Amino acid sequence: MEGSVGAPAAGEGRRPRDLRADFFRGIALWFIFIDHIPDNWLGHATLRNVALCDATEAFVLLAGYAAGIAYGGVLDREGWLFAAAQVVRRVGTLYVAHIVLFVMFTAQVGYSAAAMDASIYIDELHLDAFGDQPYRALLEALLLRFQPAFLNILPLYILLLLQFALVLPLVRRPRLLLALSLGLYAATRLLELELPTWAGGGWFFNPGAWQLLFMVGVVLGYRPPGAAAGPLRVPWRRWAGALCVAWLALGFALLFLAWHRPDLGQAAPLWFTGVLTEVDKTALHPFRLVSILALTYLLAHAVPASAAWLRHRAAWAFLAMGQQGLPVFCSGILFSFVGRLALEYNDRVIMQAAVNAAGLASLVAVAWLSGWYKRKERARRSVPALPPGRPA
Amino acid sequence: MRWWSPRVAIRSRGRPPGAARPPAWGRRAFLAAALALAAAPAPFAPAPFAPAWAAAPTSCEAPPELLDNAAPLPATERALAEGALRVLVVGSASVLGPGSSTPAHAWPARLEASLHESRPALRLEVKVRGGRGLTAADMLPLIEGATSPPPHLVIWQVGTVEAARGLEPDWLAGRLATGLEGLKERGIDAVLMDQQFSRFLRANADINAYQDTIRIAAAGQGAAVFPRYELMRHWADTDRIDLERAPRAGRAAMVDLLGDCLGGAIAAFVLRGASLAAGPRP
Repeated sequence: MEGSVGAPAAGEGRRPRDLRADFFRGIALWFIFIDHIPDNWLGHATLRNVALCDATEAFVLLAGYAAGIAYGGVLDREGWLFAAAQVVRRVGTLYVAHIVLFVMFTAQVGYSAAAMDASIYIDELHLDAFGDQPYRALLEALLLRFQPAFLNILPLYILLLLQFALVLPLVRRPRLLLALSLGLYAATRLLELELPTWAGGGWFFNPGAWQLLFMVGVVLGYRPPGAAAGPLRVPWRRWAGALCVAWLALGFALLFLAWHRPDLGQAAPLWFTGVLTEVDKTALHPFRLVSILALTYLLAHAVPASAAWLRHRAAWAFLAMGQQGLPVFCSGILFSFVGRLALEYNDRVIMQAAVNAAGLASLVAVAWLSGWYKRKERARRSVPALPPGRPA
Repeated sequence: MRWWSPRVAIRSRGRPPGAARPPAWGRRAFLAAALALAAAPAPFAPAPFAPAWAAAPTSCEAPPELLDNAAPLPATERALAEGALRVLVVGSASVLGPGSSTPAHAWPARLEASLHESRPALRLEVKVRGGRGLTAADMLPLIEGATSPPPHLVIWQVGTVEAARGLEPDWLAGRLATGLEGLKERGIDAVLMDQQFSRFLRANADINAYQDTIRIAAAGQGAAVFPRYELMRHWADTDRIDLERAPRAGRAAMVDLLGDCLGGAIAAFVLRGASLAAGPRP
């Protein structure tokens, strides 16, 4: 997502853009849109159906990866303070985006309740905190302590970036960074640390745990100046690949028996199907962490950065989406509101197809427009700067 | 702190009856925005079920594959064989039958009636414990406190309040595991029941996450999930029972019909679970 800021990352041809990261982030953003619409049929085709991890994990890992590339580069050129200031500026953008989405979501709930004449439900559910305590709800939303359904990824991302700004220089000492990060992860899980929410309990995504995945991405993404490779090499080993495949197969077997076909799962021993009840997403259970890392390992080695299909026209849409992470993410959340309302009105096959087609087309359009605008603006800014700055 | 606590929950909601209906233009604009596709009649019927009763649109027969997921209910089976069955129904508001004409039309009462009908000689006792806005944690003591004599079967309706309030699904998973484990230790059968189908709830809450949690919790303890959500969606899709689309005047009758249909379906589900425990597994 940071890579999409463009300026720092796409520096003067120092390092070719890793199209794989863009492509898979594009896919993850698309999946996030799909999974944010309950009962969307395409939701049966996303990552969460086949692996014990989903688009959220992919998104956070790749966000870390892009942050490592972009802000790592700024750190090396301009120093900690400047790079941290840039991260904080990005956090400000995310915060504003989150609040705007929050306001829209609140309006959606109100509209939806009126349109469906849902008094019978809304009364039972008191879904709208605004009906109860509007001022309090607003305050708690601003404090990120009130995160309505589907609005829990941006708060996580904000916290992850703030943590990252603090430890930025440690990207040069990846082992120390990972050790600290692992320590915080372990402490969060073992001591059950959490950030409180208004409703009681913790955040939907616990930043203390999820930061580990982000930092892994950072370390994988960072390149010291002049170095061809990152400080941490993860070379291909056949046995490691086999382990990853076995792990993912195990995860799929668990999902299949406990979730897809619990009727068949009755034949399996309970200790086996019971494993899944322990696998939480909130604090990124190690099972999920290992699953996304295994998937990444396999994909990163199966798809070389030079793969021809990444430059094929069919891949373009997802590349564009991945490169314009923030606008695409935010508009994806927004489009999913519209999609949910559309399915609320009618959830038959035509509407399902229309929502998904319109959703994907809109995401691609946002990506294209945003990329086009940034290129244009960059060109415009650099043109008048040239003549006076350079004699002949 | 807990903004949903019962104290706070008893309140007057903003809209007085009849006031501030949604402006018609808003709805129309939305419909237009909804890609103008709504106007096209969707030729889709979810699944071709037995045509015999598909012809009768008021029927609330359940598609067989939805009720196939019954798990064996050994304690219920023994109780049926002995001629006396005690059932405890625990849940949030829907167990009390809000919106129906009398409490006797709520699904737990209809379950009792339906079981009576199929097993007239059975001495049957159905207790209902629950209330509006109860979370799984609030229900645990109701389940654990059911002693002297303990029930043979607990039907635990759960997951709606958690989804509506956006509580962590993992929090729900923990409570479900505790409850189901306790029941298993006491030799009591358990059937979980998921949310009602509601387009409104679906549009405004991350409902699939909580359904997954219920499903996985049940699979982890060998319990069954009664697929209320899928059933109600089927009834809505086939224009049989659709609370959200029912005209105001006919709503109470439709809520009654829903209670009747659900009660009958659960009774069938329970009897099937008992027969699974009796005979050799198919």
